[in-house]
Amino acid sequence: MTSVNKTIVFFLLLAVMNLHPQTSLQQQFDSAIELYNQEKYFDAITEFKRLQFFDKENLYSFQLNLFIGKSYKAGSKFDEAIKYFTLAEMNAATEEDYFNSKILSARTNILRRTTKQSERILNELNDDSRFVSRITVIKYWQGWNYIFSDEWDKAYEIFSENILDTTLANLCKSVDEELYSVELAKYSSYLIPGSGQFYTGEYISGVLSFGWNILFGYLTISAFIEDRMFDGIIVGNFLWLRFYSGSIQNAEKFAVQKNLEISNKALKYLQFQFRGEKP
Amino acid sequence: MKTKIFLILIVVCSSIYSQRIDFNLPQNIKLFADFLFCEKDYLRAIEEYGKYLEVIDNDTVKFKIALSYSLMNDQLNALQEFSSANNSSTFYEQSSIEILKSLYLLKYDSTFYVFGNDLINSKSQFSTNAQKLLNTSIFLTEKGLPDKNIFFKPFESEEKLFLEKFYDQKLNPPYKSETAAGIFSAIIPGSGKIYTEDYGDGITAFILSGLLTYLAYTNFEHNHPTRAWIFTALGAGFYAGNVYGSIASAQIFNAKVNFDFENGIRLFLEDKDYFSPTYDFCK
Amino acid sequence: MQRKKYLLTVILLMTVTVNSQTDWVRWEKSDVSYQIKDNYLDREYDLSIKSASDIIVKPVINAYWFFISDVDGANCPFQPSCSSFLVQSIRETNPFQGVVMFFDRFTRDTNVFGRDEHYPKYGKRHFYDPITLYTLDTNKIKFIPANTFINE
Repeated sequence: MTSVNKTIVFFLLLAVMNLHPQTSLQQQFDSAIELYNQEKYFDAITEFKRLQFFDKENLYSFQLNLFIGKSYKAGSKFDEAIKYFTLAEMNAATEEDYFNSKILSARTNILRRTTKQSERILNELNDDSRFVSRITVIKYWQGWNYIFSDEWDKAYEIFSENILDTTLANLCKSVDEELYSVELAKYSSYLIPGSGQFYTGEYISGVLSFGWNILFGYLTISAFIEDRMFDGIIVGNFLWLRFYSGSIQNAEKFAVQKNLEISNKALKYLQFQFRGEKP
Repeated sequence: MKTKIFLILIVVCSSIYSQRIDFNLPQNIKLFADFLFCEKDYLRAIEEYGKYLEVIDNDTVKFKIALSYSLMNDQLNALQEFSSANNSSTFYEQSSIEILKSLYLLKYDSTFYVFGNDLINSKSQFSTNAQKLLNTSIFLTEKGLPDKNIFFKPFESEEKLFLEKFYDQKLNPPYKSETAAGIFSAIIPGSGKIYTEDYGDGITAFILSGLLTYLAYTNFEHNHPTRAWIFTALGAGFYAGNVYGSIASAQIFNAKVNFDFENGIRLFLEDKDYFSPTYDFCK
Repeated sequence: MQRKKYLLTVILLMTVTVNSQTDWVRWEKSDVSYQIKDNYLDREYDLSIKSASDIIVKPVINAYWFFISDVDGANCPFQPSCSSFLVQSIRETNPFQGVVMFFDRFTRDTNVFGRDEHYPKYGKRHFYDPITLYTLDTNKIKFIPANTFINE
């Protein structure tokens, strides 16, 4: 009796093991995840795609698309990453999954510098009543989006209002205060040629600009006063106007270049020394 | 005993109906590789096909590996793989015409012509394709063109229609003469550039030279010698510049004629995929 | 909404296959730089003497750039700029030919019409017009059609 029972149990166990449908798929998934964790992203994608091909019932659809997207993101292949995140989004079974894939999509858009798209995604999530509890996460990435679209003042507003990360708030504030106003540089050079250059710290250029403008301005006006119209027009047009518009152009250029230096310094810090979560 | 048979049956049925998939089975590797090939994920397809070939020898798979290299534009590896097909292979003739395409793209000119001529004489189903490719390639060399009828024999009517203007142009390129351009501009400033179809620059050169000559003349007349000499010097400079520029303009015009010609032929060949056959591996 | 999603999936899948060129070469993990590149073209001040004519030309040109050209803004629509063109032509050929080439370049600079159909584009605002097209040596001419973008 006992040996017959044992045999029955043994065969039943075998049958159950055979019928367990996901053993091989799960194994494949696990080995692909192993490759992903070892940062062998190209091979991980191959194994994920293999599983995807054989997963006829789409049991792993969401996870596969998500991980393929993450692998592409790790290799800086942003276009592909976003496509797979969008596919993951469409295959999301739960709200959590949907949210995660959307956030990853937004983060990849930030890295790709297509900030309008990430803004749209984050605003959509913000307006979605299902994710009210996740508002901190949404705001955090909205802040980063402003950093990458060079709107440091708006980034500071986000980071300070929502008590997210004081390091980031302080950094954004200091960058915003250091930045030059490009409009101010341009318009002061409209009024006094060379002043925009002085504002941006380019003193030599400012002095030269001012000097040339004074010289040719004097020559043009004296030509008109002495009724030498042709001379006046020639000097005014080919010399004075040139240096006047050059001054405005240079003021703008110096302001933009200096601002770029300032923001690049902050971005470098964020990339290499900031310890918090990055896109 | 009956129980045992019954239990064995259960195990057998369950293993038939189980969804255990062995990903490393050769046929599964091939299925996946075919999928990758049709998705244009060629590098991965090549790796998978390679794994398959370690276990089973198959002409189609070998050909598809070579084709994947070719489609990724890695002609060196494609050439190597296509060349490994011997005449017992199912794809021997297709491999030969693909080898010709790779030789052309790699610019191995002498081998290209020898191999091409062999292929034409071999009475393969792709002899006409080879002839078309060889003939078209003559346009991009310094070789003389054969007689028109002989040249256009292998081509279809719409191909002939397209290539005829290239044939005529190769015999009579519409170049502009540098000497003529220089002489025209020496007589009337700017006219050389108008001859070389640089209309805007020609008119500008005419106006500048004319204006400066006029200014020099009026200043001499009104007894302002310094200004007059400055304008004369500038005028002379612009005049010399205009003659020089017209000669350069003719050279650039001719370079453009050559460029457009070669580009036209290249685009035609690309469009025809170098007369290589199309395959229906992915329906 | 469902229909839109379906359409989007189809479009996405199509573009995924078209873009698979990314995986035609094995790639490894990599990070993209957060920093932004400067779009302005910088002047190449260079006082090295490479030939006899440089002894006169170089100081004059550098002084011109410093006192005048850098102050009156970027006026030349071409790359290389007119003054650089002069320097390069003198260096490549001889002073006389270089000056004549410069007069020709100035004529082309004066003609503001038809540039789009005549010159390839360089960066966002300039046109590409190298000296190699004008040395009268046909071997040096490398024709680039208009509307091509160079070094973007």
